[in-house]
Amino acid sequence: MDPISQWQIIGQSVRGAAHERQGTPNQDAIGWLPKSGVGSSLAVSLADGHGSARYVRSHIGSRLAVKTSTRLIYSFAARHKDAANLSLIKRTAEEWLPQALARAWFEAVKEHLQENPLSIAEAQAVKGKDTAEDHTIAYGTTLVAAGVTDAFVIYLQIGDGEILTVTDGSEVKRPVPNDERLIANETTSLCAENAWRDFRVAFQPLTKSRPSLILLATDGYPNSFRNESGFLQAGSDMLKTLRAEGVSRVRHTLPDWLRDTTRKGSGDDVTLAILYPGKTRVQNQKRRPRPHKSKPA
Amino acid sequence: MAVDGKIQSLNTAIKEAIPHMQDVADENPNAQVLVRAVKFSDGAQWHVSQPTDISDFKWDDLEAGGVTAMGMALGIVADQLKIPPMTDRALPPVLVLISDGQPTDDFTGGLQALMNEPWGRKAVRVAIAIGEDADPEVLKKFIANPELRPLQANNPEALIKYIRWVSTAVLKSASAPASQTMAASVAGLNVPIPALPDAGGASADDVW
Repeated sequence: MDPISQWQIIGQSVRGAAHERQGTPNQDAIGWLPKSGVGSSLAVSLADGHGSARYVRSHIGSRLAVKTSTRLIYSFAARHKDAANLSLIKRTAEEWLPQALARAWFEAVKEHLQENPLSIAEAQAVKGKDTAEDHTIAYGTTLVAAGVTDAFVIYLQIGDGEILTVTDGSEVKRPVPNDERLIANETTSLCAENAWRDFRVAFQPLTKSRPSLILLATDGYPNSFRNESGFLQAGSDMLKTLRAEGVSRVRHTLPDWLRDTTRKGSGDDVTLAILYPGKTRVQNQKRRPRPHKSKPA
Repeated sequence: MAVDGKIQSLNTAIKEAIPHMQDVADENPNAQVLVRAVKFSDGAQWHVSQPTDISDFKWDDLEAGGVTAMGMALGIVADQLKIPPMTDRALPPVLVLISDGQPTDDFTGGLQALMNEPWGRKAVRVAIAIGEDADPEVLKKFIANPELRPLQANNPEALIKYIRWVSTAVLKSASAPASQTMAASVAGLNVPIPALPDAGGASADDVW
């Protein structure tokens, strides 16, 4: 298999149609490193702040999650990109990274709280009917992230959201194991006690095969499809569109696609990241842009 | 008041609530509201068998008669809350149990079947007792949450108010639930329940 010289990323977050109607902010966040979106090592993180009343600072919590996670995973990927011992990297990714991510987010939240203590109204909202007063709950968020190098991919997830991989032959898979506890509007969270235990981690060595596309999304995106097959189809359609239309055009039209998705679909904030090896080049720059075929419900 | 009077009041209350449900659904284009109904007396069966979009929903009158096969009714609902036919990606169902009597079959078994299903446990479960013959303890077991008590409708006006409340305020809340941690859900309801309507007083001649 030819080595991948570069990974590239396209990503976007749009405020949900329902959030616009209700006047609530976009509680999702997205970020990647390096900022150019191109590199032999690359990390991307997406987070979805919980919307219920007590998570009054979840839009900040999601941004802090993205910031801390992207830095940590990028540093990890860059540090290990040339390492030969993939078993050791896998074990470190599975055992150390979740704890490091949960701890880094918690420290960032604590620092934010010290500089910006909760108001009385915020503290009351957080407290709810519980006797406990853990103010970090105000920042509750999920996290979906990936780190890619020439040699391996790490996938990490806590809470709802989705990660898909698409092979060269358009086979779509979920690299991260399903969490059957996530049903209705309930999710695991970085703000939970021992959050690191709820991380789902997958490690993919790129020795034999590699994904032609990795798609990461907050739950507003998959929830916009009428059924599972429609969402999975979106993964392979995205690869076809990238190949046919080219990167820059997909990047240009992505915000409109996502706004259309939330308006016709879930109404929730929608955040999407697309990672692909550098060999997926622009095929024909002169063709007009068109949205990918899979439509939300 | 006779049993026939109660069932006619129920038919009227449901018909009256339909346009209000349609209004709530129209306000939230991001949620599809589907309605089904199970009737139970000597046995239990679907009264509205197919999940019907609220915009097309019509109510055929129920008739009074028989006993109260509530456990069988819960079992029928439980079957349809399995994954599949449900998917794990949906809004929480709202289950409304309306009864004027004591269960006459295996209520515990039916309730267990319902609560064995993830969507049964995560459903918003509301109960309305019509008249004094309904068993509030049974309805409390169905709700299974101390924060929400059975609604006691002792006259037609109260029944209309409660059914309107469930089909509008509760529906609206369940159609756009904000996410929360599992720990928060264990501590209370996974969908915020709006304030209950005031059922008002009743005159001496319209109390069941």
